[in-house]
Amino acid sequence: MSEESHIVKSYEEELQNLHDTLIQMGALTESQLSDSLDAVIKVDKESTDKIINSDQKINKFRSKIDTQIMNLLVKRAPMAIDLRSTISALKISQDLERIGDLAKSNAKKVKPLPYDLPDELLQNLRRLGELVQKQLSEVLDSYVNKGLDKAKTVWENDERVDDLTYIAMNSVTDFLSQDKKNLDFATHLIFVTKNLERAGDHITNIAESIYYLIKGEYLKGQRPKGREIEDNV
Amino acid sequence: MKNSKVKISSNNLNVYYGNKQALFDVNLTLNEKEVTALIGPSGCGKSTFIRCINRMNDVIEICRVEGSIKMDGMNINDKGVDVVQLREKVGMVFQKPNPFPKSIYDNIAYGPTIHGVVQNKNQMDELVENCLKKAALWNEVKDRLQEPGTSLSGGQQQRLCIARAISVNPEVILMDEPCSALDPIATAKIEELIDELRKTYTIVIVTHSMAQAVRVSQRTGFFHLGKLIEIDTTEKIFKNPGNNMTQDYITGRFG
Amino acid sequence: MTKEERIKKRYRAEKRFKFYGIISILTALLFVFILVQNIVSKGSSAFFRTVIQTEVNFDKDALGLGNNPSKENVLQSDLFDFSVENLLNIYPVDDFERENEILLLFSPDYEIEIKKYLANNLDVIGQTVILELTSSDDIDQLNKGNFPRELPENMRRVSDFQLEVFDKLNSENQISKIFNNYFFSNGDSRDPELAGIGGSLMGSFFTVMICLLLSFPVAILASIYLEEFAPKNRITEIIEININNLAAVPSIVYGLLGLGILLNFMEFPRSTPLVAGITLSLMTLPRIIIPCRASLKAVPPSIREGALAVGASKFQAVFHHVVPLAMPGTLSGTIIGLAQALGETAPLILIGMVAFVVDVPTSPLDPSASLPVQVYLWSESAERGFVEKTSATIMMLLGFLIVMNFIAVYLRQKFERKWN
Repeated sequence: MSEESHIVKSYEEELQNLHDTLIQMGALTESQLSDSLDAVIKVDKESTDKIINSDQKINKFRSKIDTQIMNLLVKRAPMAIDLRSTISALKISQDLERIGDLAKSNAKKVKPLPYDLPDELLQNLRRLGELVQKQLSEVLDSYVNKGLDKAKTVWENDERVDDLTYIAMNSVTDFLSQDKKNLDFATHLIFVTKNLERAGDHITNIAESIYYLIKGEYLKGQRPKGREIEDNV
Repeated sequence: MKNSKVKISSNNLNVYYGNKQALFDVNLTLNEKEVTALIGPSGCGKSTFIRCINRMNDVIEICRVEGSIKMDGMNINDKGVDVVQLREKVGMVFQKPNPFPKSIYDNIAYGPTIHGVVQNKNQMDELVENCLKKAALWNEVKDRLQEPGTSLSGGQQQRLCIARAISVNPEVILMDEPCSALDPIATAKIEELIDELRKTYTIVIVTHSMAQAVRVSQRTGFFHLGKLIEIDTTEKIFKNPGNNMTQDYITGRFG
Repeated sequence: MTKEERIKKRYRAEKRFKFYGIISILTALLFVFILVQNIVSKGSSAFFRTVIQTEVNFDKDALGLGNNPSKENVLQSDLFDFSVENLLNIYPVDDFERENEILLLFSPDYEIEIKKYLANNLDVIGQTVILELTSSDDIDQLNKGNFPRELPENMRRVSDFQLEVFDKLNSENQISKIFNNYFFSNGDSRDPELAGIGGSLMGSFFTVMICLLLSFPVAILASIYLEEFAPKNRITEIIEININNLAAVPSIVYGLLGLGILLNFMEFPRSTPLVAGITLSLMTLPRIIIPCRASLKAVPPSIREGALAVGASKFQAVFHHVVPLAMPGTLSGTIIGLAQALGETAPLILIGMVAFVVDVPTSPLDPSASLPVQVYLWSESAERGFVEKTSATIMMLLGFLIVMNFIAVYLRQKFERKWN
């Protein structure tokens, strides 16, 4: 990347603003994800309203970034690294918004849950959630520090997310088979598990965008896949 | 890459104006029936380079050319090469439109006349019509061929100059910032024309507009201070250039 | 000073400047007007000559030419006595001295005038015709009001008796003025009423023609070579400086050159337009080269490049494109140079074009004068009649110069419209 800054100062500022806004959006998404996971594990029904309302802020960030990108394209006709930065910011913001939506969806699922869920189930969900949180944190790090290797590692770790999803899903199906009365609860928990997996996918998308941004090439090969979940729902 | 046949290649080309060196060891190839754009900051040597291809630098007394430029394998600076015939094969369009102060018809007829290309008036009429059609100017001027070339608008004048360049049936057309004196619509028409022309001619275009280079060319070369820094497909140069200097230039970090 | 005061001061200064400019123009115009008015008032009368209407009886016997004389017979005969007899009929007197005075009222040309009339109108033999015969220059001036009648007789060129005759003829409307074709057709003459610029006009014409034919091609080709083809080095710089200096050399020096080389060394015929033309062409050469080079320099290099780019050789680019564009300026310069050559007097005097030449020259090898030299010669003569002729010749010269300048302007406009 270049040490020089743009001759036109306002161009430099616009790119920097986009970068900063995206980082703020990422930070908010991180905290939404973490809060919603906490609420699920602790079955904390009071905190969920706040989490659900906060999702609006993420959407506002999305609009702001959209506007910033439109302006950059029409004013500056960005080239090379600037072009890649701009387009990546667009894709990353989309993925972050989806992650935010998934966090909100998980928060919504807390109220109907019982207080006496099996411990193992909750631990498996916690492990999965913490891994996804870590992935998000690492991928946002790699964006800030332009860490190519870190992005690649996040991308490869999607395999582990798949594995943990499989384990968590099995816990849920066990829970269901214990007692037919658990059907409602199990359904919610399946959605929660699935949401966490999809959040992981979006994070992997972000990793791919960051890789292309830095290297100028696409990540080669298939995404690593963990154990497939047998669809028995 | 389909048309990869090399039309023009320069080998260790060094150009001096008196004691000042303008080009340093330039090695590049231009492919046939393709548009190659040359970009770079002012004074970097791109105009000097293209003027070597049709030996317009011969006109400048203190200019000295070392190294070789080959067209279809033959060195154009050889003693035996006739400059006039070379310029029949390599045409040029200049930055500021410079139609002859003659009628539109005569502007185009001049080249073929002095080269003895056509036999009679009918053939000449046909040739003039063809050239004007190829330059997308025929419909606008067909009713006033005897009016002076200088009575046209800027964009039309430039198209007239292009028609004049192709009147002697060249193989290569050199364009030195052809649109820099024109308004956006005239520019768009010329870019459209270049797209058409590249089916028949090899084109080299010097331009200061990155966006134009992207729109118009298949390969782009970046010059800086007399050296060719990088040359590659246009896509590569503008999406992910290999050299930092290239990137700095095209993104506006220096220039 | 406040801003408003500064602005006001500036406006006032501009107004003052404009005022000075207008005053200057008016002053210049005033001088031109005075000059022109002076010349025209003195010279316009030269375009008319006074004639005395005389009855001539072409009696066959009095003529003594036989029954059917031919034109040649008439022109070769001696009709002097016949003419004198008819002339004296206008105012019959007995005195021989008085008869002489009557004859002196006429221009000494009368025999020739009568002969010419008869030769062209052979059918008048046997008839009496009223001819308009040219009066003498004294009568001419008298009729034109330039003659001081109040002076005592011994200080006048016209005697009391002649005045008496004149007044009588005038009261009977036998004195009139007609258009003076002699001014244009005759060469120089001792008699002012018969003198014309025919000779000097042709002399000037041949001179300018030869000057043009020699200097124009040489100057144009030299300019083109120096400007377009010659290498730019010390030698060409020196040549350019020398040409510029030559344009400032006083013209009389060229006269000396002509005298020394053409007349003395090469023994060309003196007083001829040939020698004058060669001498003046040397002088005119740098005066054409300088505007021609300036015009060539003014052609934008983009035209040259455009021609070269289309495959023209250097020669073709120069002659097909650059030279036509330089033509307007070159032609202007040429015509102004020729106009200057037309008005040159000093060098022509040195090479001898001061000859008193009566016959109108028919080729550049015949001796002649030129218009400005003629002005010089006549201005030295005593007779009053030459005053008006001098001024009339100056009018003619000015007229030619104006016409030549108009041609220059016209050609320049025509070429510029065509090429632009």
